[in-house]
Amino acid sequence: MPDLLVLTWTFVWLSFLAIGGGLGVLPEMQRQVVTIHGWVTAQEFVDGYALAQLTPGPNMLVAVFIGYRAHGVPGAVLAGLAMFLPASALAGMVAGHWGRLRQRPFVRRLERAIAPIGIGLMAGGVYTLSRSAVHDVLTASLALAAFAVLWSGRVPPIIVVLAAGLVGLLARA
Amino acid sequence: MHRVDLARLLRVFTWTGLTSLGGGRSAYFHDAVVVRRGWLTNAEFLQDLTLCQVLPGPNSSHLAVALGHRLAGPWGAWGAALAVLVPGATLLLGLAILYGHGGLGAEARHFLRGMGAAVVGLVLVTAVRLAMGGVRDRRAIAIAALTFLAVGPFRINIAVVIAVMAAVSFWLAKDADPA
Repeated sequence: MPDLLVLTWTFVWLSFLAIGGGLGVLPEMQRQVVTIHGWVTAQEFVDGYALAQLTPGPNMLVAVFIGYRAHGVPGAVLAGLAMFLPASALAGMVAGHWGRLRQRPFVRRLERAIAPIGIGLMAGGVYTLSRSAVHDVLTASLALAAFAVLWSGRVPPIIVVLAAGLVGLLARA
Repeated sequence: MHRVDLARLLRVFTWTGLTSLGGGRSAYFHDAVVVRRGWLTNAEFLQDLTLCQVLPGPNSSHLAVALGHRLAGPWGAWGAALAVLVPGATLLLGLAILYGHGGLGAEARHFLRGMGAAVVGLVLVTAVRLAMGGVRDRRAIAIAALTFLAVGPFRINIAVVIAVMAAVSFWLAKDADPA
């Protein structure tokens, strides 16, 4: 199978494994795009995720970044469509019936069953990201400082992320 | 009949998507369609939010699809998804092109490294907040912890982990049924 198709298919199935948000699928995404297919390096993966945090829209748009690094603009477009089109179509189909579906005991039980899995997956995403983004005293302190400031909820995330970038720049200059 | 005209929906969703940078996206949408415009009730919004959590796929685009569907039908769903995705995707593609053509020098690399570290703090805050709200009984704690260990340190294939944990969790969830 041509690599472009492999890329597209990989993001389609990754999108359907993103339970409880995109962060949960990060460990598997990294395994696929860095370790197995080598579309980006581990550092590029982290850089792409950081850029996706900076740009508006879902962070899973990181697929566009990876697609571009792998196969240029066609790769970016296909990876983006693969990540969002099938999953959004599913959401659109269910949305019209959700009010009724949600009354059923089966669906309520499913909600309760899935919530903790989503949280475990998210924690796995934090783990994966920290393994590639935190590699010395500076990055560790920046991560902890960002956690502390954001926990207070008084500063918008975008300001904290940009300020940390500035510290990273000044510290190495 | 639809509650909101499609052009108006597109305008509001594009603007909200563009300005809701850096996580906590559902809060911005809540503000835009419930608090500020009164297009939806709180209960309707919460219903759409749980839909996004149960369905597989990227959460924040799901929320736009569900809200768009409620407000302007199937076209509203597609329009809302495009409104929150296209501006960011275009911008990110531009950044990816810059990144690839060495437009990002040594300074930018250091900048990105600092940003990447802060993002770890950001996602940790989100994960801890959600865990505090959603993991309360022993069943939930065990499921969340096992899922974490499997996909994090042990790097087991996520599809296998989800299939096994969903079956176990669904089976265990019957005892916790309050209704």
